[in-house]
Amino acid sequence: MKSILSALGLAAVLAAGPAWAQSYPAKPITMIVPFAAGGPTDVIARIVADSMSKTLGQQIVVENVAGAGGTTGTTRAAQSAPDGYTIMMGHMGTHGAAPALYPNLKYDPTKDFEPIGMAAGTPILIVAKKNFPAKDLKEFLAKAKADGDKINEAHAGIGSVSHTTCLLLNAQAGLKPTQVPFRGTGPALNDLVSGQVDFMCDQIVNLVEQIKGGNIKAYAIATPERSPALPDVPTTKEAGLPEYQVSAWNAVFAPKGAPKDITAKLNDALGKALSDENTRKRLLDLGAVLPDKAGQTQEALGTFVAQEVARWTPVIKAAGAVAQ
Amino acid sequence: MEQFVDNLALGFSTALSLKNIGLCFLGCLVGTLIGVLPGVGPIATIAMLLPVTFGIDPTGALIMLAGIYYGAQYGGSTTAILVNIPGEATSVVTTLDGHQMARQGRAGVALGIAAIGSFIAGSIATLVIAALGAPLTKLALLFGPAEYFSLMVMGLVFAVVLARGSLPKAIAMIVVGLLLSTVGTDLETGQERLTFGIAELSDGVDFAVLAMGIFGFAEIIRNLENPETRDVVRGKIGRLLPSKEDFKQALPPILRGTGLGAVLGILPGNGAVLGPFASYTLEKKIAKEPSRFGRGAIEGIAGPEAANNAGAQTAFIPLLTLGIPPNAVMALMVGAMTIHGIIPGPQVVTKNPQLFWGMIASMWVGNLMLLIINLPLVGLWVRLLKVPYSLLYPAILLFCCIGIYSINNSTSDVIFTAFFGLVGYALLKFGYEPAPLLLGFVLGKLMEEKLRQALILSRGSFATFVERPVSGGLLLVAAIMLVIALLPAIRKGRDEVFTE
Amino acid sequence: MAPDQTGDQSVPHAARGTQDIAAGLFLIAVALIAFWQAKGLPLGTLRSMGAGMLPTALAVLLGAFGIAIALIGALRPGVAFERWSFRGLLFVLGSIITFALTVRLFGLVVAGPLTMLIAGAADPQTNWKHTLIFSVVLTAFCILLFKVALRLPIPVITFL
Repeated sequence: MKSILSALGLAAVLAAGPAWAQSYPAKPITMIVPFAAGGPTDVIARIVADSMSKTLGQQIVVENVAGAGGTTGTTRAAQSAPDGYTIMMGHMGTHGAAPALYPNLKYDPTKDFEPIGMAAGTPILIVAKKNFPAKDLKEFLAKAKADGDKINEAHAGIGSVSHTTCLLLNAQAGLKPTQVPFRGTGPALNDLVSGQVDFMCDQIVNLVEQIKGGNIKAYAIATPERSPALPDVPTTKEAGLPEYQVSAWNAVFAPKGAPKDITAKLNDALGKALSDENTRKRLLDLGAVLPDKAGQTQEALGTFVAQEVARWTPVIKAAGAVAQ
Repeated sequence: MEQFVDNLALGFSTALSLKNIGLCFLGCLVGTLIGVLPGVGPIATIAMLLPVTFGIDPTGALIMLAGIYYGAQYGGSTTAILVNIPGEATSVVTTLDGHQMARQGRAGVALGIAAIGSFIAGSIATLVIAALGAPLTKLALLFGPAEYFSLMVMGLVFAVVLARGSLPKAIAMIVVGLLLSTVGTDLETGQERLTFGIAELSDGVDFAVLAMGIFGFAEIIRNLENPETRDVVRGKIGRLLPSKEDFKQALPPILRGTGLGAVLGILPGNGAVLGPFASYTLEKKIAKEPSRFGRGAIEGIAGPEAANNAGAQTAFIPLLTLGIPPNAVMALMVGAMTIHGIIPGPQVVTKNPQLFWGMIASMWVGNLMLLIINLPLVGLWVRLLKVPYSLLYPAILLFCCIGIYSINNSTSDVIFTAFFGLVGYALLKFGYEPAPLLLGFVLGKLMEEKLRQALILSRGSFATFVERPVSGGLLLVAAIMLVIALLPAIRKGRDEVFTE
Repeated sequence: MAPDQTGDQSVPHAARGTQDIAAGLFLIAVALIAFWQAKGLPLGTLRSMGAGMLPTALAVLLGAFGIAIALIGALRPGVAFERWSFRGLLFVLGSIITFALTVRLFGLVVAGPLTMLIAGAADPQTNWKHTLIFSVVLTAFCILLFKVALRLPIPVITFL
């Protein structure tokens, strides 16, 4: 997208012409967010884009292209010109679970993108209705295992974070709950608070206030360390299920073929955003976990995406969940 | 009681700061201007304008967003009345009598009553939230999937009551709406249904796309072929504001609508959508001459508009007290709050009382702003109808296209509206009404979701719907209403055969 | 709009309700398409519904309504089938599709006036000079409102 001036017309044609010769970025950058405005990924994208804009000296305009579990927007990003003026905020679903969920996927997360860098992850919690008869994770898993399909798990729809992360939990802990699908986190959470369903897995940002308010109880957080937002909730390692490590990560990508110097510049701007005091605070307030210096490189993200695809494919295939 | 006054005082001291009044005004104004674009309802407007508020402090941003919400809601009603394009499910009802009033030269009266009705409803609903917000939350938690399903069955009965003309044709349209609602990915299994292999349909048909095509574009094509009907709208302007007589006639429906809307709005799972339909049904049932409805009855717009606004207001209760968004608009509000570092939940009231009560107070201020902004604008809107139709309709088309494109930055959505324009035109030519179709569509999604959830939870037992007292009660009411609704319709149907 | 469609005094009457016959056939067609699309989906049982249960059931129900409405039309006098305005359909829907095809390709600067001019062809009374001027003014207004004031990510100009 060009500057407003050139858009407005003739007067600016002269100014817009030589802009191409200038160094990147010479015009606003579009960041595609493959989810609706206001969701966790959108919020993280806007906070990060805000700070990156200041570093780059050009506005990063967030464009929400929601649909089909984020794959619509991701497809558009994969197919756009690799000139560095279209980038995207990818996500655990679009760049991890999607290849297994969508057999007709029009992009390959590992091959069709240049990784820019990890932005932020939101930890996953295992939560249950407040009167569920188990005091910690061990008891919960034992009871859930013994009850088999008598226990009800809520999720926010096939392919959603809450769905796939619980599939992983069920596979690792050997649970076979009855799954109750909802349209979005809100309705699912509502029925968990009112006790219609027994448990669910979801991102901390959606759950933190309900846990603090005592409307639901949290058994464990699936990160290596406890979250400052919920210091009383033990990690899965402490609670006895150390292999359950999962977070809804968000990372910046450019279409395949974007020039090296441009992706390096974007990676640098992202790194500056993540070390900016104010940006850090805004992200941490959401309960997000930020990557360390080693995790911020382009190579680290590339390796991570390949690992994620390899991790989710068998879990989802085994559960027989297909979204297309 | 003392605490109630204290809380409201705190709220108003926040909401009435010069800056926050300004933001509220700005929000209402922008919301109205965008919401008035044909086919662009509150969800689209808020999604489009959400980023605008990111630079403001949290309380101010939320106050402005609430203003945008009310503005968009009223703006949607304005287009429903003037050009017969509902921007959201709840203003479908407004098209029924509102647009007929406009055709009779009473557009100003319709817009005025909508504004005044909304203001009265909004004021009462604000008090309800402030006084009863916390206890009312419990009501929302009484409703599980089975109860919602029964509530939606009741909604379908409203749809039948709404029908005019041929009853089989109206019910057929409800079925078409239900069928359209099944398009997209199956909730439970993830399989694609009725998508013709088109990836863009995997999330189903968007309401705005369907409404704009079936109502808006079809209407434009029809107007173009009958130059007489379009000039009827242009010719008569009539009085700009409701007379005392109009107001007297409208007040009881406004109060009844407020009550219905306020109660239904509290229910998560978008109970608010039923408010206007319920109000219309009620007014039509208790009217001395039900035949006036659909031909420009003022009660048919006063009640539903009040219900709409009351529901829009009380829908904040589950969000503010539980932190759980009951519908798509409120989900956007959650996003707006989290981006400002406020995570909505049961603790917001105690941790951030200024924000909480400030927002509640600003609801009332927002409603007042709406009245202040819109009563003078009524003249302007009505005068828009004076623009020659040959210039007006290309402009409407362009605005519609930009609006639909902007909702999801998607050109395929624009193409789908063109398709539904064709469908809508065909429906007109076949003598079908689009309103029951839209209601069937809106209820269909919720109904199937709740039906299947309820059956999963009951492990396949249908008894769950009657065994659970609230659910059973709702089904009983629905059954009684259906009988009452069908009896006169069958009789009337016979009469019509004789007169023809 | 729809409400008074059938109630208008000007509506031509016929010995048979040709409008209803067509209306019924239309529903039958919709039902058949839906039935065909839902064919491959598992029905499940009433107690545990499959993805295809509801669409199939609704398609059957719709087909039944279609047959009933067509029969009513065939057996009773009623409203005659109206002529279709193909000019309106072609240019109104054509202008919308043109917008969809051009907005990302060229931007609003081209898509805006083009959409309004094609739409203008739908009305025989269109004054081309007025429509042309108005389309340019309105496009400029839209750019100011959506792009400059509200900062929506809509493409304004993609060439140059």
